[in-house]
Amino acid sequence: MLRRSLIASLAAAAMLCGPVAAARAHDEPKYPDWSGQWRVTGGNKWDPTKPVGRGQQPPLTPEYQAIFEASLADQEAGGPGNDLRFSCLPAGMPRMMTVIFPMEFVFLPKLTYILFENQMPRRIYTDGREWRKEVEPSFAGYSIGKWIDADGDGRYDVLEIETRNLKGPRAFEPSGLPLHKDDQTVIKERLQLDKANRDVLLNEITTIDDALTRPWTVTKKYHRSRSDVWVENNCTENNPHILIGKEAYYLSADGTLMPAKKGQAPPDLRYFNQARK
Amino acid sequence: MRQPGSIASIVLGAALCTVVAGASAHDESKYPDWSGQWRRPPGVNNQWDPSKPARQGQAPLTAEYQAIYEANLKDQAAGGQGTDPTYTCIPDGMPRAMNVIFPMEVIILPKTTYMLIEYLSMLRRIYTDGRDWPKDAEPSFMGYSIGKWIDTDGDGRYDLLEVETRNLKGPRAFDASGIPLHADNQTVVKERIYLDKADPNVLRDEVTTIDNALTRPWTVIKNYHRVRDPIWVEAICSEQNEHVRIGKENYMMSADGYLMPAKKDQAPPDLRYFNQTKK
Repeated sequence: MLRRSLIASLAAAAMLCGPVAAARAHDEPKYPDWSGQWRVTGGNKWDPTKPVGRGQQPPLTPEYQAIFEASLADQEAGGPGNDLRFSCLPAGMPRMMTVIFPMEFVFLPKLTYILFENQMPRRIYTDGREWRKEVEPSFAGYSIGKWIDADGDGRYDVLEIETRNLKGPRAFEPSGLPLHKDDQTVIKERLQLDKANRDVLLNEITTIDDALTRPWTVTKKYHRSRSDVWVENNCTENNPHILIGKEAYYLSADGTLMPAKKGQAPPDLRYFNQARK
Repeated sequence: MRQPGSIASIVLGAALCTVVAGASAHDESKYPDWSGQWRRPPGVNNQWDPSKPARQGQAPLTAEYQAIYEANLKDQAAGGQGTDPTYTCIPDGMPRAMNVIFPMEVIILPKTTYMLIEYLSMLRRIYTDGRDWPKDAEPSFMGYSIGKWIDTDGDGRYDLLEVETRNLKGPRAFDASGIPLHADNQTVVKERIYLDKADPNVLRDEVTTIDNALTRPWTVIKNYHRVRDPIWVEAICSEQNEHVRIGKENYMMSADGYLMPAKKDQAPPDLRYFNQTKK
């Protein structure tokens, strides 16, 4: 009798729960807990296991190795080299995943957002869509992702992402390590929590780019903070770097233009009425 | 006649259902559908008060700030930027961000509602978890926002989001005409955001600004039109920005990449730190 009642109860539950549960979308237990703030470890170099600059030992083609060396030389002389972040251009992909200022994840069933403190958001479409032809290239690119339940426990634990449709100029890191100007970069990522420490998020990032002799894979680690204090980081606020044409100058503490490099010529003032000076 | 055992089964079934459903968070059916992309309506430029043509609104400014505004208009007419600070690509801040020059989207989660605005990648977090105002939050252009969902028609689904924003920094203006907010940055912005009952593809934002540059709270109603399955475009202000600010002077970049005056007879920048013989 009791067994029959229990069966009836379970059947009733199934009938009642079905439509109610269907009315509730976005089953959060299906997704991993990536809540909180995440910051990269290893500083602002691209491959966190190697020193910045030449120490990265990037697999560049000879042409782009030469471009890289020229960038390093310009930086040693006080110039920006290939790193145009000084003018507040976005870092773009893949560099924006060197998350010095924190990021957070927002999961919806069809979209995963990555929100950053100091740059534009990433939208990662997880609705099974095809690549779109009409999308304008962008610094963050267009990203399609797929959730995977790698360990078969009924809960997603890996997010695989592919990003295309990029624009430039972009560099891997502040040393100006270049990506190809053809902007045909493809980036593949695998994000998952570190099994040994659930407050560490791993991102295996593979960059396929015509400046490289082969796909280049690095693994970034991000550490979690449960803080919900967000700070505005506006590159353009009080930025002392001044770009005039292709020349980078500097703003002195007294608000006057100054050279960024030794012996740098002042800007051409041909359009000013010099008699008024 | 229904047997007591059957009733018990149904009751127990309902209880089990509640437990199962409780493990799934975020009941989307409680919240309104604000998905998609929201754009300012056709014919509305970037003016703060959309009910008036651009630059013809009548902000209730104090005498002091009306004078600042008039001086700003004169400067803009001469080629300057007046009191509109955003030519250097700093964020619009609040309340100006709600001009939604480029589209926005709204992401609703139980504890936070996010507004992602394409222009300058402005991001608002509106905390709806019942928290108190923080004592030590750093001021920001977007401010600190606390919101509350309300079910005004009692149908079991929220339809109104009330938001208050404080903790702002400046400089900020209401729109590109340079209508100024007070330099003391004590602005409080209150909003009531809801779908138009007659057209669920129109989102309304009743925005009330309380600021010491104003003689009274100033309320305008913003409307946004929805686009489903949108395409998002990056709007990067600092990319090919033709404005160059050196100290307190604003210059321009010519089409051929040279510095040029923004105003008639503007003096060139001081080049005292350059070795002029190297020119």
